[in-house]
Amino acid sequence: MRRYTPYLILAIALLALAIDLLPNLSLPASGTAGGTRPIETKLGLDLRGGLRVEYQVQAVDGVKATAADLATIRDIIERRVNSTGVSEPLVQTQGTDRIVVELPGVSNPDAIRALLGTTGRLDLVPLPRDVYGYFDAATGQPKPGVKAVPTEGETLSDTELKALFSGDQIESSAVQIDQSGRRVVSFKLKSEGADLFATWTKANIGSYFAIVLDGAVKSAPYIQSAITGGEAQISGGGASGFAVDEATNLVTILKFGSLPFPIAEIGVTDVKATLGAAFLGQALFAGAVGILLVFLFMLLHYRVAGAVANIALLFYVVIVLALFRLIPVTLTLAGIAGFVLSIGMAVDANILIFERTKEELRIGKGIVPAVEAGFSRAWNSILDSNVSSLITAFILFYFGSSTIKGFALVLIIGVLCSLFTAITVTRLILRSVIVRKQFSSPYLYGVGKGDLDGLNREVARG
Amino acid sequence: MDKIIARKRWFFLFSLLITVPGLFFTLATPLSGGAIGLKFSIDYTGGTIWEFRPETPADPLVVQAAVASAGHEEATVTEAGTGFLIVRTKPLDLQIGKDQIDNAGAELQAIRDAVIAAVGPIAEEGSVSTVGPVISQDLTQQALVLVVLGSIGILLWMTYRFRNLRFGLAALTALLHDVIVTIGFFAIAGTVAGIEIDALFVTAMLTIIGFSVHDTIVVFDRIRENLVRHAGAPFGDIVNHSIVQTLGRSFNTTATVLITLLTLLVFAGGSIRTFVLALFVGILSGTYSSIFNASPLLVWWEERAQSRKAAAARTRTA
Repeated sequence: MRRYTPYLILAIALLALAIDLLPNLSLPASGTAGGTRPIETKLGLDLRGGLRVEYQVQAVDGVKATAADLATIRDIIERRVNSTGVSEPLVQTQGTDRIVVELPGVSNPDAIRALLGTTGRLDLVPLPRDVYGYFDAATGQPKPGVKAVPTEGETLSDTELKALFSGDQIESSAVQIDQSGRRVVSFKLKSEGADLFATWTKANIGSYFAIVLDGAVKSAPYIQSAITGGEAQISGGGASGFAVDEATNLVTILKFGSLPFPIAEIGVTDVKATLGAAFLGQALFAGAVGILLVFLFMLLHYRVAGAVANIALLFYVVIVLALFRLIPVTLTLAGIAGFVLSIGMAVDANILIFERTKEELRIGKGIVPAVEAGFSRAWNSILDSNVSSLITAFILFYFGSSTIKGFALVLIIGVLCSLFTAITVTRLILRSVIVRKQFSSPYLYGVGKGDLDGLNREVARG
Repeated sequence: MDKIIARKRWFFLFSLLITVPGLFFTLATPLSGGAIGLKFSIDYTGGTIWEFRPETPADPLVVQAAVASAGHEEATVTEAGTGFLIVRTKPLDLQIGKDQIDNAGAELQAIRDAVIAAVGPIAEEGSVSTVGPVISQDLTQQALVLVVLGSIGILLWMTYRFRNLRFGLAALTALLHDVIVTIGFFAIAGTVAGIEIDALFVTAMLTIIGFSVHDTIVVFDRIRENLVRHAGAPFGDIVNHSIVQTLGRSFNTTATVLITLLTLLVFAGGSIRTFVLALFVGILSGTYSSIFNASPLLVWWEERAQSRKAAAARTRTA
């Protein structure tokens, strides 16, 4: 097994480097939708600019939203977001009553907030036959009125029109196949709506009515027969009825046109893209300087061993960045700080090993046994201290809010990767270095000349 | 170097000196109603922060008067450097679901209009951030939960790894020392320089807790090893020896971490400055407390137990 480790490490490095640098890579998307997800570095809104709104679902008359209600509300808000055309929107539920919307690069935050935050209103509006005409069952032909029947997306211009009832009277809705095999949309009304609908349909067979969501017409079917039981079917489309997406769309509107519970904004952040870009630049520069200084420190302090640690550290950076892109981890300013901090921590394992090696060298051991002892003796401390970091990082990840979670995830990935690079990679390279004659002087591992002399005297005395 | 343990009382005294003033300012926060002590950001108090840069540099006091004239007497305006001004008010424009929302952002627009009328056009807007009372309550609770759970987690882990509650408690004392020093530092910085702590501050606390215990673990591991190797030697000597042996590592690790934090502090801006400063203070304190508190505490404990035993033995023989 050990023979193959170098090749395995090299393969991981090359793979990670490819993920870091090659553009236009993609992965199969998770979930059932299929398709692919591009591999890219995801930046948080604080770095790329954008709008983040956190909503709390409000209880109505002491009734709280269930998990299913929360999911419904999330779906509706997501549809509203999609209708704005913002790219890469993110709508998530959080906890038992929160919904978080993140929209990168929004130029009109107020308009979007107005759209997302409405409870929404679905109305069923009868269209008077003297104005909009009716469907003449005797001839099987529509009889046009003075105005055309509105089509999807139109707003009803006639302010005189009154809703018969609203979306709250719709109990359920589903896509069904009727007797003749056509795809239809059925809906069931609550008793109040059913009574109103029965009275009106009895008197208005052939008339059109409009299903109106937030003022815009979604569908305008006509009445084929009196609907007395509160259960109705809407048919339309071609010979086989509605197309699938058309039908499901209508069902969603009937079912969810308005939010089952009102929502309230509890937090809003809007970062301008230019500001985010400036922070990103500063953070990257700081990170680069930080890494360089750590490199320098290790080189000056541990010489050959430090150079080896630096190679491992480069390896660490390449792997961690690849993981950020693969998982993907959304990088925020705090996340970048976490990454830079993790570099300082990643060398801790190497420092432990090298200090231990120096001690072993000072008591007169040869390079090879000293390095091996350094690794094996330092292992306990390395494991214990990394576990303690993981404990606090997991607590942050599990109990923290979203900004904190991002930082914690960066820290967790960093700790796990550093265990691998600082130990496996460093040991592998160091083992091949220390057997060479030109690298056998303890001085090259940070042990001062005086140290050894003093020790030798001590040993001689003892 | 060979007298760290012998001088432990001095090190404990130094810890008192760096914790007590900060503790005083921290405790003064609720007593003075926030006039002295920790300054909390809108994450904890709720409110709106709006950043903008007027085309011609403006006096914060003029802007503050303009914002007050728009109905926000509570507003404060500060300079953020690079020409930006920061306006803090109570939470603005939080909409509660209605059938139609007609005037999203109207409150901020009123402030914006008043500012433009007073100091001229706005060149650039940075960010607007509003935190409502619901979130600020959540975050306050979350902060307490996180720090308590983090401390318990470390206590359990240390006790388990060293099979000794004393090691766990000594490590816990050291990390609480670091938490108190860091909070105290910000209580003083808040009073003197108005530096605010935000939701990321608690993240820094937990990172400090996790990292500060690294140094402690390295020393404790060495103590455990030396207890076997030098069985029979006085406990204090073993501990002192272990500290000295691991000193190089403790300094070097702290140095690399502080180097990276320092570059962030110097070059990176925005929301993480406080966060990075907190980490810097906490990790510095963490190295001190691990070397000069946690291990000496073990010795103090051991000596006390032994002198009790000796006293008990004396009474038996008498």
